[in-house]
Amino acid sequence: MFRALSRVSTAGFRSLARTRTGYSAPLASRCYSHGKVETDEEFDSRWVTYFSKPDIDAWELRKGMNTLIGYDLVPEPKILDSALRACRRLNDLASAIRILEAVKDKAGPHKDIYPYVIQELKPTLTELGISTPEELGIDKL
Amino acid sequence: MAHQAHAYHMVDPSPWPLTGAVAALLMTSGLAIWMHFNSVTLMSLGLVLLLLTMYQWWRDIVREGTFQGHHTPPVQKGLRYGMILFITSEVFFFLGFFWAFYHSSLAPTPELGGCWPPAGITTLDPFEVPLLNTAVLLASGVTVTWAHHSIMEGHRKQAIQSLTLTILLGFYFTILQALEYYEAPFTIADGVYGSTFFVATGFHGLHVIIGSTFLAVCLLRQVQYHFTSEHHFGFEAAAWYWHFVDVVWLFLYISIYWWGS
Repeated sequence: MFRALSRVSTAGFRSLARTRTGYSAPLASRCYSHGKVETDEEFDSRWVTYFSKPDIDAWELRKGMNTLIGYDLVPEPKILDSALRACRRLNDLASAIRILEAVKDKAGPHKDIYPYVIQELKPTLTELGISTPEELGIDKL
Repeated sequence: MAHQAHAYHMVDPSPWPLTGAVAALLMTSGLAIWMHFNSVTLMSLGLVLLLLTMYQWWRDIVREGTFQGHHTPPVQKGLRYGMILFITSEVFFFLGFFWAFYHSSLAPTPELGGCWPPAGITTLDPFEVPLLNTAVLLASGVTVTWAHHSIMEGHRKQAIQSLTLTILLGFYFTILQALEYYEAPFTIADGVYGSTFFVATGFHGLHVIIGSTFLAVCLLRQVQYHFTSEHHFGFEAAAWYWHFVDVVWLFLYISIYWWGS
């Protein structure tokens, strides 16, 4: 299953809710001695673009999600929105709901993140007709 | 007495290519008969014919080279090219199975739970028997190199010892792997994980057995004084093949056993 990564509070979730001022965290907590550092905004837009490819195929969708979930962070709602729309283009409802499960898993002990993400994604979920695991009753074992 | 004005080997007519082709036909059609009519007779016949063909064809090559002197330097060069091209084709063979593995594992489908290893699969610990197997094959690479140097330096006894040790290590690997197969908590039928695991490692195991057999034939030939310190291409070909088998295992270990767990 999804590997448990160390969920350091500052390295993870990037959103309007964070309190630090000004500086941008480096890409996925890699500390290189030199080289261009990607900003949070660049990271996000790169992934939004990835999932926005009109003719993305099922393999690329799954690969993108697996890579994204491998990072030590919870993806921004805008990235997830793009991924959910890719699921819609590919008629893959199963993966759409799985993405929501993955977000909850990535948040780990930070129980406030998942409800926030669902709240941000509600319009998209309604538009695309995606139920949450909770609505389907599959969040319980 | 007829002489040739060139250094190449014009091979005498031989029935073994034909028997080999017939064996291939009987094995393939025999496989179909087995699948549909539950009889292994035809396939077994093909298999026996294949083994006889291999034995007699390669025996003839040994006679032509070692006893009749047909393997001049240009002929040996051709044999080298041949072995290299063959091993290259085997590399591509394995490349296909690695492609299948990475296709399935980099983008696991919803049926697997969208994760790798798939939900419900208990993988083997890469630091237990698989690591031992890695050590065994790496050691056998050392011993086969030792054997080569022994042959080149004319140390007959050491060559026999190191070659024997190489073969024993090969058997040890095979036994360990067979036990792993028996004890594994998953089977070939367990989704794409089982398929990629057992087909890739299974074909590798078959190649270990083939390689061990090739080395064993070299041991028999070494004991019977076939090799000289300057001319022992059969051994070199076996050693190349053995190194190839070792390298494939390293890729399997890193990809499937370690990363894939």
